[in-house]
Amino acid sequence: MSLGSLFSNFKSTMYKNYGEHPGKMLVHTGVLGWILSSLAQVSAVFFNDKISAKEKSFLIPQEIADAGFNIVSFYLITSSFKQIASKLVSTGKLTTKPIKSFLTKNGYNKNIGKVDFNIEKLSDFKDIKSEYRPFKNGVDVIASIIGSIISCNIVTPLLRNNYASKQQKKALAKMNYQQKQLQAPRGISINDYQKMSAMKYSNGSLKV
Amino acid sequence: MSIRTSVVNSYHNFQQRVLNMFPNSEYSNPNSVKHIKKVGEKISSAEQRLILGASALISQPFIDFHNRDVDEETRKVSVCRTIAKIIAGTTTGFLIRKGCIKAIKEFSQIPAKGVPKYKTIFTPKNINDAKSDAYAQYRNAMGTVVALVVMMITNFAIDAPLTKFLTNLLVKKQEDKK
Repeated sequence: MSLGSLFSNFKSTMYKNYGEHPGKMLVHTGVLGWILSSLAQVSAVFFNDKISAKEKSFLIPQEIADAGFNIVSFYLITSSFKQIASKLVSTGKLTTKPIKSFLTKNGYNKNIGKVDFNIEKLSDFKDIKSEYRPFKNGVDVIASIIGSIISCNIVTPLLRNNYASKQQKKALAKMNYQQKQLQAPRGISINDYQKMSAMKYSNGSLKV
Repeated sequence: MSIRTSVVNSYHNFQQRVLNMFPNSEYSNPNSVKHIKKVGEKISSAEQRLILGASALISQPFIDFHNRDVDEETRKVSVCRTIAKIIAGTTTGFLIRKGCIKAIKEFSQIPAKGVPKYKTIFTPKNINDAKSDAYAQYRNAMGTVVALVVMMITNFAIDAPLTKFLTNLLVKKQEDKK
């Protein structure tokens, strides 16, 4: 397959998938966006020489956790919000006056709210398409935005802070341990060692 | 009953239970419906990024500031970094998305007499109506995908250094206050 036909297929797929589903597009491109920006942010902290090692021990795990939690929670929460909103509209639970009148007039009233019922699959869907489609897109987009605000701005910061502070404690404990090892190879501090040696007459030190 | 059927049935029941939690609602106010439709039509990934950034500026520094699991010094740097990251990410994210969506609109015109071929490079096959909502959404989606490719470079070239610069600036301002 040539590069030209690959690009042509890509354009058709984009049109087919996202042309009539802007909410889906916001979820998918949002996830991709978070992956890319997280990669850049982790490297920004890593290469910032004005941030101390102690702060980096918190900020780097914070950033990695931010990326992980962001991507997972963004996808799970945002797509759940979008899916529920879509289902509410497609099953007729959430409607406008013209959609409700259409359902009543054509005898679909008893199917409203049933999970298998889908307005888009009705044989006479074309009669209500121009009213239904923009309304559903609007509800999808609003749900995606609410979902993304909850996931990115509330759930992720809380989870990542909790995770990063645990990582910082671990990193600091490790750093302290390494420092102690360096200062006192036999398990005591240099000061203690000097005091002890000064007290011994036999080691050549003069005790005053 | 096979495992597959049982899983499908459980999922179906779960979906129905979730749906049942919501009451039947009908928007009868034409203005509300008009606004809902407008949101679906007008909000692209660029506006979504802006809304996310603005709301993030309210919630995230507050959450970081009240994180009692870390010492005060780390907490302050964390707040500065969060603010810097939101400002840098939202500004570049919004501008690049908006710019790319605009550019795609320019390069996805319907083939016609007088329209140069390069201006139809992003036009899918068999499209005749440039004014349909589906085509506007396609342009938004394609613009966002192109923006993501651009951001693979700008995330490193602009976002990250700008975040670093703003973090250091905010930390310095805070230290000067002491």
